[in-house]
Amino acid sequence: MLRVRDYSISRKLTWMNLLASGVALLLACAAFVAYDLITFRESMIRSLSIQAQIVGSNSVSALLFNDPQSAEKTLSALHNSPNIISAGIYTPDGRPFAAYWRHRGSGALQLPPILTARTQLRLRDGQMVVLRSIVFQGKPAGTVYIQSDLQESIDRLKQYVIIVVAVLLTSLVVALLTSSIIRRAIADPIVQLAETARIVSRDKVYSVRAPTTGNRDELAILIGTFNEMLAQIEERDTALRETRDNLEQRVQERTAQLNAVNLELEAFSYSVSHDLRAPLRHIGGFARLLEEEYGTTLDAAAQGHLRRILSGVENMGMLVDDLLKLGKVGRQELVWQQTDLNSLLQSALQDIQPELEGRQIEWRIGELPVIDCDPGLMKQVFANLLSNAVKYTRRREFTVIQVGHVATDGAPVIFIRDNGAGFNQQYASKLFGAFQRLHRTEDFEGTGIGLATVQRIIRKHGGRIWADGEVEKGATFSFSLAASSQGFAATKASAAVG
Amino acid sequence: MALAWALVVVPSLWAQGSKPTDYDVKAAYLYNFGGFVEWPAKARADNGDSFTICVLGQDPFGSALDAALAGETIAGKNVAVKRIPRPRDAVNCRILFISSSEDSQLKQVLAALDDTSVLTVSDLPQFSRRGGMVQFVLDGNRVRFEVNLTPADHAGLTLSSELLKLAVQVRRSP
Repeated sequence: MLRVRDYSISRKLTWMNLLASGVALLLACAAFVAYDLITFRESMIRSLSIQAQIVGSNSVSALLFNDPQSAEKTLSALHNSPNIISAGIYTPDGRPFAAYWRHRGSGALQLPPILTARTQLRLRDGQMVVLRSIVFQGKPAGTVYIQSDLQESIDRLKQYVIIVVAVLLTSLVVALLTSSIIRRAIADPIVQLAETARIVSRDKVYSVRAPTTGNRDELAILIGTFNEMLAQIEERDTALRETRDNLEQRVQERTAQLNAVNLELEAFSYSVSHDLRAPLRHIGGFARLLEEEYGTTLDAAAQGHLRRILSGVENMGMLVDDLLKLGKVGRQELVWQQTDLNSLLQSALQDIQPELEGRQIEWRIGELPVIDCDPGLMKQVFANLLSNAVKYTRRREFTVIQVGHVATDGAPVIFIRDNGAGFNQQYASKLFGAFQRLHRTEDFEGTGIGLATVQRIIRKHGGRIWADGEVEKGATFSFSLAASSQGFAATKASAAVG
Repeated sequence: MALAWALVVVPSLWAQGSKPTDYDVKAAYLYNFGGFVEWPAKARADNGDSFTICVLGQDPFGSALDAALAGETIAGKNVAVKRIPRPRDAVNCRILFISSSEDSQLKQVLAALDDTSVLTVSDLPQFSRRGGMVQFVLDGNRVRFEVNLTPADHAGLTLSSELLKLAVQVRRSP
């Protein structure tokens, strides 16, 4: 069963209309009927009383001259009042004198004896009894007794009930008709508005409009505003879609441009690095030849210059090598493998063995995890970071290099910590830029490409690398590869674009 | 309801005492006539403070009339009883009962009352035919009366219709 508050508005309106008119009519009818019945009852009492009085005054002589026939004749005039069941006249001492019965055949003609001759009225058992004393010359001459039923009152009530029912039914029909008018004026537009709102909400279609009523009420304003709102949403939607389309197009264009430039740049830097090698080899070769064949003939200053040339050539060679390596990392496809970082670390340490000659280093190497990565590139990462640690601790009497990992919710964080020269944390972001150096070459040799390469490798793995440090207190390089699947996917995607 | 009423038994005077005689009834009727007859203004003024009922001739009522009228009033006036020997003494009477002893000289009696406003009542036979106004008659054992309106009209008396409807006969004859 549907609750009233869940009824539709039109049903609510209909019910409201019916209820209001029904209750009002019922109350009005009840009041009228009650009033009329009361006044009718009063008028009936009055009429009975008057009849009793008339009968009384017309029976005085009959009583005085002891003529019951005459009194009965007077009483028989009551026959015109169909409600009067019986009537009687009593002598002053309470003896029945004359009697009248509406239905002569019914029962004994004996009148009930009466106690007193006072005028009185009794209403009992659906009957009304009037007693009225007859006074003549200031003395009681007898008593009139009239017994009446309330049939007329009941008949009247029945008629009223019929009329009330008819009025109620008629008014309910009228109320139904008017409620259909109200429905047309109020409920239908609201229902249509609600339906439109439902369509909009369900199908996300903003091109529909709620039908207007043509009236000028609040409802019309509501519908108008709603439609206006829909129009605005539609407009904004269109604008948004256009902007989005434009943006996508622009992003695509930019990406394509960037990719092209990137490729061009890589090809250029590779070819430059590659092509630089040949003349470099010439310079180096001839300089060495010059040293070997004419070294003894040259004076000390010339020999110094020659050594400077050779040293420069060597530096440049390293630079070209690093650049090629960096370029190679950019182009290289990752080869994913389950890799035990412990053995990878040992292997990297082997590679940098020459740099460890004559150094006192305390290695604190913790247990490292097994992760998914490209082992070749990851070994470069370790070799680079270890080499850096060894290099920047060169001036320490007592070198400590720590390698370990921190287990986190996602990928483990691997760190390499040293107690070397450190750096100003303010410039930490510059560490990983190509050719960016925080130390002078005179203090610590290097090309400024190593950390850029490391960062490129880590990023290719979908991970990130960061550094914490303080001047003369040491540096900590930490990196983590993204959760394997995520990192894998990201890397694949970037590899495909590259 | 009827049963409840039946329990309230009202003792009847009539049942208790001995049956009233005709003259007891006639005495009461004489008094009752006073309430249904209208006298002319002159008669009312002449009669003063009392309403006099007179008996002419030999009184047949005995003590019944005095008993019936003792302390009664009609139209606010005390009722008095007067026994008169001659018709001309009836000037101040309102109602005059003419005893049957006056049978032989009834014509003279009525003639003597010709210019008065006295209601003449009698139980003489043919009284109403002979120029009397109200005549008692016996209907079985019930006392009733006949009325002759002509002498009443002549005397300026108005008899109430209530009275006339009870009359055995209402005649108009001189």
